[in-house]
Amino acid sequence: MSERETTHFGYQQVPVEEKAGRVREVFDSVASRYDLMNDLMSLGIHRLWKRHAVALAGVRRGQRVLDLAAGTGDLAERFSGIVGSQGQVVMSDINAAMLSRGRERLTNLGRVGNLQYALANAERLPFVSEHFDCVTIGFGLRNVTHKEWAIQEMFRVLRPGGRALILEFSHPTSKAFSRVYDLYSFNVLPVLGRMVTNDAESYRYLAESIRMHPDQETLRGMMESAGFERCDYFNLTGGVVAIHRGYKL
Amino acid sequence: MTSDGQATQTSEGGVPFALPLSLLAALEGVLNRYIALDPEGARGFEPIYGRIICVEIEGLGARLTLIPGPDRVQVFGAYDATPDCLIRGTPLALARLGMAERKDQALSTGAVRIEGDTAIAQALSDAMAGLAVDWEEQLSRVLGDPIANQIGRGLRAAGEWGERTSQTLKANLKEYLEEEGRLLPSRAELDDFLQAVDHLRDDVERLAARVAQLARAAETGTGHGDAP
Repeated sequence: MSERETTHFGYQQVPVEEKAGRVREVFDSVASRYDLMNDLMSLGIHRLWKRHAVALAGVRRGQRVLDLAAGTGDLAERFSGIVGSQGQVVMSDINAAMLSRGRERLTNLGRVGNLQYALANAERLPFVSEHFDCVTIGFGLRNVTHKEWAIQEMFRVLRPGGRALILEFSHPTSKAFSRVYDLYSFNVLPVLGRMVTNDAESYRYLAESIRMHPDQETLRGMMESAGFERCDYFNLTGGVVAIHRGYKL
Repeated sequence: MTSDGQATQTSEGGVPFALPLSLLAALEGVLNRYIALDPEGARGFEPIYGRIICVEIEGLGARLTLIPGPDRVQVFGAYDATPDCLIRGTPLALARLGMAERKDQALSTGAVRIEGDTAIAQALSDAMAGLAVDWEEQLSRVLGDPIANQIGRGLRAAGEWGERTSQTLKANLKEYLEEEGRLLPSRAELDDFLQAVDHLRDDVERLAARVAQLARAAETGTGHGDAP
């Protein structure tokens, strides 16, 4: 009898085929208050991180952008305003609750016309190759079971000259700051989660999944392995978050 | 490569100064709130939706990138794409350009330089200048119509009084300097004087021409002494 292949779900090891379902449960649970919780957890700084990611993406009018793990659409909303009516922004998420929340939010804001929505698994994207000028994934890669597959898919759907950006929690660069951050993540975060979404476990998973996510150099190596060139990364807030960028040349 | 702040490059290789993300966010908020006060005027940005307009502040090496869109004008520091239009100048020159009624004057001095599509810079400038905020209407949302109306009337009356007072003061001062103190000439005297100067200049030029002609005639020995 062969042993079942496992992967991490926070600090736990779970069968590979179960991870997507468990991640879905986490996001189903927090979807309704996702934005509020993000604001509380990051003291609103997540908006600045996303703004920086958009600036690094350098998207132009008329371009096609794919935003994976789009959540409630913070990045897609900005891209939509830049690419204009000649461009296209596809907002994608594996979680139906999050995607529908995002769609509702953007429609209510009047962002229609160049925005499309796709319920899709980042590991197997339902798009033709070499279609997008820019692919982004914001705070989503660490929840993907096979990260390398997702990065390869990002590479596949990019047109030559296109770039991919991965905005994700990462590893603080200073040891002292790292200790403070751990204290916050494992003590304050679950309490906030319990207060706001009545779900401490989901936020404990969040803190654990961040620790299990590859560090800056490892992730850059993964991007290079997938074929990306000129890969670099930008640490924000002392490395709490990093933006990795690579080009398909 | 790692970077803890914004990746900023200036086109002239000066020391880059990255504007803090929080400042850019605040700037974007303030700018868009101001634009939202005049929804009609905001349509002036339509021709430049999606255009990347970069303002480079010389001396600081800081960059500000504006990308107007239907929902808002997005404000970034360095934006990683070639701008459609780059406006470059010192903070003072840029401020002068912003306030000047005739932008071409500010541009012709070379204090502000524009690279790329200058029509975009012009459209941005026109859109900003075209915003006419009805402050009384905005005030009425907070204080109610009657109070806002009263404040508006008061401010208009104060403005008119100020204008009248300033004109009276100007007229009185002019009269004192020209008529009573005889410190300055009146307009008519000044015009006569300028006309006399013109006549004198013309006379002198004519005389100089005649002298030159006589001198030439004397040199060749064939002068007739005729008037020109």
